[in-house]
Amino acid sequence: MRFVRVSGLAALAAGLVLGCGGALAASAEKGKTAYVQHGCWQCHGFQGQGGVTGPKLAPEPMPLETFTAFVRTSNRAMPPYMEAILSNEDLADIHAYLETIPKAPDPKGIPLLNQ
Amino acid sequence: MPADAEATLPALIEAVKSAIPNDRKAAIEKRGEAAKKAFAEARERTKQAAALGLGCEPDQHGAPGAWRPGAQIKDLDWSLVASSGNVSNWPNRLWPMEKHYHWLGASGGYGVGYGAPASVGAALANRDLGRFSVSIQSDGDLMYAPGVLWTAAKHKIPLLAVMHNNRGYHQEVMHVQRLSNFRNRVASLGGDMGPVGTSIENPDIEYHKLAESMGWWAKGPIKDPDQLGAVIKEAVAVVKSGQPALVNVWTQPR
Repeated sequence: MRFVRVSGLAALAAGLVLGCGGALAASAEKGKTAYVQHGCWQCHGFQGQGGVTGPKLAPEPMPLETFTAFVRTSNRAMPPYMEAILSNEDLADIHAYLETIPKAPDPKGIPLLNQ
Repeated sequence: MPADAEATLPALIEAVKSAIPNDRKAAIEKRGEAAKKAFAEARERTKQAAALGLGCEPDQHGAPGAWRPGAQIKDLDWSLVASSGNVSNWPNRLWPMEKHYHWLGASGGYGVGYGAPASVGAALANRDLGRFSVSIQSDGDLMYAPGVLWTAAKHKIPLLAVMHNNRGYHQEVMHVQRLSNFRNRVASLGGDMGPVGTSIENPDIEYHKLAESMGWWAKGPIKDPDQLGAVIKEAVAVVKSGQPALVNVWTQPR
């Protein structure tokens, strides 16, 4: 479970940095759970890689402010998630999770894509 | 009387080529080079996108369409007979579609349940033409007319069905989520329940056993993309011997 190890380290690092300032740190671990519970994976894939149904979200997600504004006000294929069903805390956690997703491996190293 | 496009097209293409004036050929060639470059760049972007899913956790890996018909069937005269459901068009984006029968198209409508019977019918026609038939078979789609598996085994119709098993009637999974958003409701029931009536989990359907019970060679569930190549190689050998084969692959939703 390569990804779990990576996200665990990233979450630990985020906790160390944000914890010093007393701010409520977003949790990538909680975000991963929220990403599934709120159905983000359905259109964007489990790694936020996107598909024809939803754009790529990760790696290198858009800034939290932009991400939040879009989720709250979207009038496109994805209807907005309002705070009544997706809290600000969950949204920040989801963003934290997306930030931990590593870049894709080089396609040249994946046999299924090169045989 | 209807025209026969397959019989007519080669002659029509040659006629058009010979009718092109010499002074236009260079311009067309230049435009073609630009199109080839754009195509190659798009192919690279698609491979990057496929790598995001294929390179990650087992159980959540990329769609089986993100498998190139490489070592296993590259030397065969293959035909993608169905790519049912919505699989992000992976085969159309990654496979070298160079002949008219490389992709037989979709249902023409929304075609729920189209994939399995359509692929068996097309594989029957391809059998007589000596073509190797392969389908990307969605799990929800196969739930509509699974009896066609027996038909394929009974009549020895060679077909490689690689399943896009995302454990749901996924178009509806997304639809319920969208409507819930519109109405400020929570769609997920938690655990493996999913949005109401749309996930196909607990119990997970063992499609490989379903196919086996009707006379197919079948393996699965394949949850690790690293295992996929070897299993497909086995399945290709079975299909080349004249039998249908099914590989049950757990995939990302799209």
